[in-house]
Amino acid sequence: MDKLVAQYSRPAHQNEFYSEQEQQDLNESLPPLSLKFSMPPIDNSASFLRAMTDDHSNPSCPIKIAHGTTTLAFRFQGGIIVCTDSRATAGNWIASQTVKKVIPVSRLSRGEDKPSNDPTPGLLGTMAGGAADCQYWLRYLSQQCTLHEIRHKRRITVAAASKILANLTYAYKGYGLSMGTMLAGVTPQEGPALYYIDSDGTRLPGNLFCVGSGQTFAYGVLDANYKYEMSEQDALALGRRAILAAMHRDAYSGGFINLYHVKEEGWVHHGFDDMNPIFWKTKLDNGEFSNVTSEL
Amino acid sequence: MGSPFDINGGACVAMVGKDCVAIACDLRLGMQALTVSNNFPKIFNYAPSTYLGLTGLATDVNTVSDLFRYKVNMYRLREERNIAPQTLANLVSSSLYEKRFGPFFISPVIAGINQTTGKPFICGFDSIGCIDLAKDFIVSGTASEQLFGTCEGLWEPDLSPEDLFETISQALLAAVDRDALSGWGAQVYIIEKDKVTQRLLKGRQD
Amino acid sequence: MRGPTIIKAEDDKTRQLNKHTLMAFSGEAGDTGELLMIRNSTLPMLTNGFPLVQFAEYVQANVSLYTMRNDTELSPAAVSSFVRGELARSLRSRSPYTVNLLLGGVDPVTQEPSLYWIDYLASLAPVPYAAHGYAQYYCLSLLDKHHNPNISLEEGMKLLERCTDELKRRLPIDYKGVLVKVITKDGVKVMDFDNDRVVRSA
Repeated sequence: MDKLVAQYSRPAHQNEFYSEQEQQDLNESLPPLSLKFSMPPIDNSASFLRAMTDDHSNPSCPIKIAHGTTTLAFRFQGGIIVCTDSRATAGNWIASQTVKKVIPVSRLSRGEDKPSNDPTPGLLGTMAGGAADCQYWLRYLSQQCTLHEIRHKRRITVAAASKILANLTYAYKGYGLSMGTMLAGVTPQEGPALYYIDSDGTRLPGNLFCVGSGQTFAYGVLDANYKYEMSEQDALALGRRAILAAMHRDAYSGGFINLYHVKEEGWVHHGFDDMNPIFWKTKLDNGEFSNVTSEL
Repeated sequence: MGSPFDINGGACVAMVGKDCVAIACDLRLGMQALTVSNNFPKIFNYAPSTYLGLTGLATDVNTVSDLFRYKVNMYRLREERNIAPQTLANLVSSSLYEKRFGPFFISPVIAGINQTTGKPFICGFDSIGCIDLAKDFIVSGTASEQLFGTCEGLWEPDLSPEDLFETISQALLAAVDRDALSGWGAQVYIIEKDKVTQRLLKGRQD
Repeated sequence: MRGPTIIKAEDDKTRQLNKHTLMAFSGEAGDTGELLMIRNSTLPMLTNGFPLVQFAEYVQANVSLYTMRNDTELSPAAVSSFVRGELARSLRSRSPYTVNLLLGGVDPVTQEPSLYWIDYLASLAPVPYAAHGYAQYYCLSLLDKHHNPNISLEEGMKLLERCTDELKRRLPIDYKGVLVKVITKDGVKVMDFDNDRVVRSA
């Protein structure tokens, strides 16, 4: 009888979690943080790479990396707004107008195969700087977060995820990586959390960030109208308007406005809309952008 | 800093049709990535059917357009007649060559109809005055590579004024949409023997 | 500015060219730039920093000379054209002036206000609002959003305050306040402006 009681009075989920030994094994099988990349066979590969790719100091550099962006994210009472443009430029050439610069992190909650419009659980990362660097390392981060989810049976915190990325960028500091990224997510442990991570190894938590060549224009609009207490509708409109301002004034930003809202239940996509009709509507309805001529 | 031709940005194109010519330019004035003005036309009128488009360094666009206003006014006073596009082409050429060893950083384009022959005329120049005569189209500015592509694809001989307007507008708008430094609206002039139509194109504002 | 030392905190970087025309100028690196905008018939205008006086006073003297000789006030358009011409001439000389200018004025005949943006390369553009230096990058988007052609003087001053707030928030250097002048059909007037307001960042 005692045996029976003992068997059934055990906490129901005790066996569902990994034992200490199992966890240790799992940790030891983690892939090393620094992956192996082939390096140019010269003394200073970092400065060589910079000389080959920096089109700012040398417009005729042989390798042109896609650059130029405006991305923004800010916290408010209803969660986090994430908004980006969609232009990729190589020098003055517009390489693409349809880049997706918001990348869902964590494969398990990416929800690509889910047809519904319900919030998708998980974090969002943004992309500024080298497009390939951002895509590759956010994919890597996604992999790490997914593994974390499988190992620990709960979603990774934004703090932890951002730390993985920051440690990574710090390990490659000086090698010529170029990325400025924001991680946004709402977790039960942290509430709404927003981090800025860049290729110098910087990692900052904060309320409001703009990253990319058009950042100052977005900051201009955002700072003047930002209030933590604003409504969801106002926050979405402000995010959209700040990106619009940057697209208009910055030659290297433009294309489509990609808008996301991250909340408790997950992130919701609020459209990937061409800026041009939105611009003319803003101008004609609100009388803004009075510098633009609309008649001869 | 990059080439002086790429600091301010801008694009210009001229096309020949049947008994008509068209010339079009974008409206941007920038300082590298920053767009300063969206109302900076680059086409200047020197006689009822003679137009000059100037792309390149904005300060030289200002200087050269003022210089030719002075020169063409003097020509008109002395000759008591309007300047023909061919004459303006030679004037532009020799004026640019005067600055052979310290050139203006511009690429001019001329479009017009010769009032004596009634024939359309277009030509382009390099920054030191080499005349580039063409029977189809002339392009210049930071979007010139894109313009070559769109014009080669869209232009055909003997277009009517209406079709020419459509062709030049589509060619310019499509080209500047792939160039970061030009766009922000455009101006088009359709020049016929005794009529000039000016139109504003609402281009993308990014 | 000489090296890391500020020599003078309050220096007027504007020159009045004639009764209705004011020119603001900012020079070499180290200056933060100035800012100005337009409204129906008055122009609030704001400057800060250190002098590049030579060119400004040369232009000022020549505009005065013209007015004395011909007994007519030049319109802002004419003044801007003259200023640009002189700057363009200097650009291709042995020692060009590296000066950025904003020129605002009210036409003495039509009473229309106008504003011209001129950079150190002598590019000239008529604009409804303008800035030079870092101010361009932070304030133009704000002005795009909040300016309208019929903006009143009070609204204009409020907008100016939004701009200086943003500069205080985001500019990595302390630019030691601003000087605000308004140009109307009756001339140029210095405005009171609170430079000591503390701005909190989000």
